[in-house]
Amino acid sequence: MTKVQLSGVRKVFGTFTAIENIDLTIESGELVALLGPSGCGKTTTLRMVAGLEAPTSGEIMFDDKDVSHLPVQDRNVGMVFQRYALFPHMTVEKNVAFGLSVRKVPKAEIEERLAEILDVVQLSGFRHRFPAQLSGGQMQRVAIARTLITKPSVLMMDEPLANLDTKLRGEMRRFIRNLQQRFGITTIFVTHDQVEAMELADRVAVIFDGHLAQYDTPDTLYRRPRTTDVADFMGASNLFAARLAAPDRAETAFGTLKVSPRADLRTGEEIDVVLREEAIDMLERPDAATHQALSGEIVARDFFGANVNYTVACGEARLSVSEQSRRLVDVGSTVWLDIAPDRIWLMPRRTIQTEI
Amino acid sequence: MAFKHVQSLSERLSPFQKFYLIVIAGFILGPFIPLLIQSFAFRWAWPDLLPSTWWLEQRDKSMLPLAWDYVFSPYSRVWEATVNTVFIGSVVTVICLAICLPAARVLARERFRGKSAFEFFLSLPLIVPEAAIGIALLMIFIRLGLAGSYVGIIIAHLIPTIPYMVRMLTAVYQGLGRDFEEQAMILGANRRQILWRVTLPMLLPGVVAGALFTFLVSTNIFLLTFFLGQGQIVTLPTLLFSKISGGTLDASAAGITLIVTLPGIILLILSERFIKEEAFGKGFGN
Ligand SMILES: Nc1ncnc2c1ncn2[C@@H]1O[C@H](COP(=O)(O)OP(=O)(O)OP(=O)(O)O)[C@@H](O)[C@H]1O
Ligand SMILES: [Mg+2]
Repeated sequence: MTKVQLSGVRKVFGTFTAIENIDLTIESGELVALLGPSGCGKTTTLRMVAGLEAPTSGEIMFDDKDVSHLPVQDRNVGMVFQRYALFPHMTVEKNVAFGLSVRKVPKAEIEERLAEILDVVQLSGFRHRFPAQLSGGQMQRVAIARTLITKPSVLMMDEPLANLDTKLRGEMRRFIRNLQQRFGITTIFVTHDQVEAMELADRVAVIFDGHLAQYDTPDTLYRRPRTTDVADFMGASNLFAARLAAPDRAETAFGTLKVSPRADLRTGEEIDVVLREEAIDMLERPDAATHQALSGEIVARDFFGANVNYTVACGEARLSVSEQSRRLVDVGSTVWLDIAPDRIWLMPRRTIQTEI
Repeated sequence: MAFKHVQSLSERLSPFQKFYLIVIAGFILGPFIPLLIQSFAFRWAWPDLLPSTWWLEQRDKSMLPLAWDYVFSPYSRVWEATVNTVFIGSVVTVICLAICLPAARVLARERFRGKSAFEFFLSLPLIVPEAAIGIALLMIFIRLGLAGSYVGIIIAHLIPTIPYMVRMLTAVYQGLGRDFEEQAMILGANRRQILWRVTLPMLLPGVVAGALFTFLVSTNIFLLTFFLGQGQIVTLPTLLFSKISGGTLDASAAGITLIVTLPGIILLILSERFIKEEAFGKGFGN
């Protein structure tokens, strides 16, 4: 398999800088998600790896060899487009075999590999259909089969699940994960759905405005975001400004929080704190054994079946608390909130940089 | 599925819709009816609704050749004109496609300085009167020795057909998107394979429509052919004009008129079939 490396890659379109400067290493056989809001440069990054776009500067390396100027056809990559781009005038069979037939692979071998791959994606019965006669999930599997049959060394997928309904997305996620593990292909996929990124990927690269904001495992990204932007994008709802009054005490607008000391933060520093909504315990009466001394009033309750979300007003601040719906506490009740100090994530306040 | 849908629609035509369709058909086909009758008439004087004497009745007695006999005789030059018309139309269509396919691709996909100015100039031949273009070309072509030659007429025919073709193909290219070609590239296809296996088949309905249109326009151009043919090259429109320039539509002119419409009608029927079966029948779209 192939290790993919981007070093100092920058892409400028005319006067617009789409990719500022990205360094990224994808280990051989790894599944990496590129995550970021619309227009941040995910597709552009993918297209540069594929060779459809040349980087303005920087290098793209496959197994330590510079491929930045290698034509698309010689890179041996596979890419599943967001809208699948199945050839509408060809049957499923012709679509899937396309990559082999343009390489002049002998008929018998094409037939053999075709049967094999159609079996993998469970589409053997659909050989003679045209793309217009398939469902979204089937089209996607055709697109994947068409790519896999060429045995690419790097597989790329641009928002492969964006066009599918929720249930199908779940199925396709598992399907892609199994396939990727079975073939062990280095895979890069693009998404702007953080849940999808966390479920599928070994590591997630968060991109904002053409910068790599953070590149970590899903777990680290969720629990230890490096900036408030990343935290926000990963779905953190309780994000507050604070000041580190003592190594283990952070002062916020709604009271003082007991936190775990961190070597990299100075006392007196302005920081941001993230309180994960599912890490907060909500008590209906005060308890002397709690870490924190926080109380507030429930101002809203949103019921989601298995889970229930409360909005608790602590002074001016609104905290969001999520718990399993084993009990329901009424709006208007006074509650006491507790959170273990090591579950509170502290970030140095980023000085706001103006970017182009 | 789609087919069934269409059928059930046509079953539900209301009387008003039927009436409406018939009126439209009448408008389009109406002018042909007198032509058709005229061409078979021997004597058809006002105010008779139908000719008092038909061509076939008089066939043996007449001293002069009658409408269809004349049309089919070598004196009429109908055969020569038909061959010329079809030949010129075909060559113009092929050249026009060869010029317009790459041009449309660039116009649909690239952004460059002066693009809108270029698009404006492209439609100039549609705005400037044909007579002006014809005279200007004639003066140039006489000097180049192209007047009265096939090459001259073909170049002249390209002038009004290219703007239409470019526009039509640009629209088709815009609908095509880059994805398909890029996907083919990633799958390992070279440029030639992409053109023949992906781009052309997908553009086919638009190419057929554009080619058909170009051919029909070319076969109907009178003024430019008249100027640049210098009377040496006869096509169906110039032949017809020489027949009716006297101000009357006699039986043989009516016959020629009907012949003039034939290539177009045959082509329309063929391409209609072709487009339906080759492209749309396989479920284009998405
Ligand atoms: N060919 C191009 N010419 C000019 N600008 C471009 C071009 N391609 C992309 N861009 C710009 O570069 C930026 C990044 O685009 P890109 O397609 O990579 O975004 P993305 O992260 O994939 O977004 P989305 O999630 O919406 O697909 C966008 O602002 C886009 O407008
Ligand atoms: Mg994109």
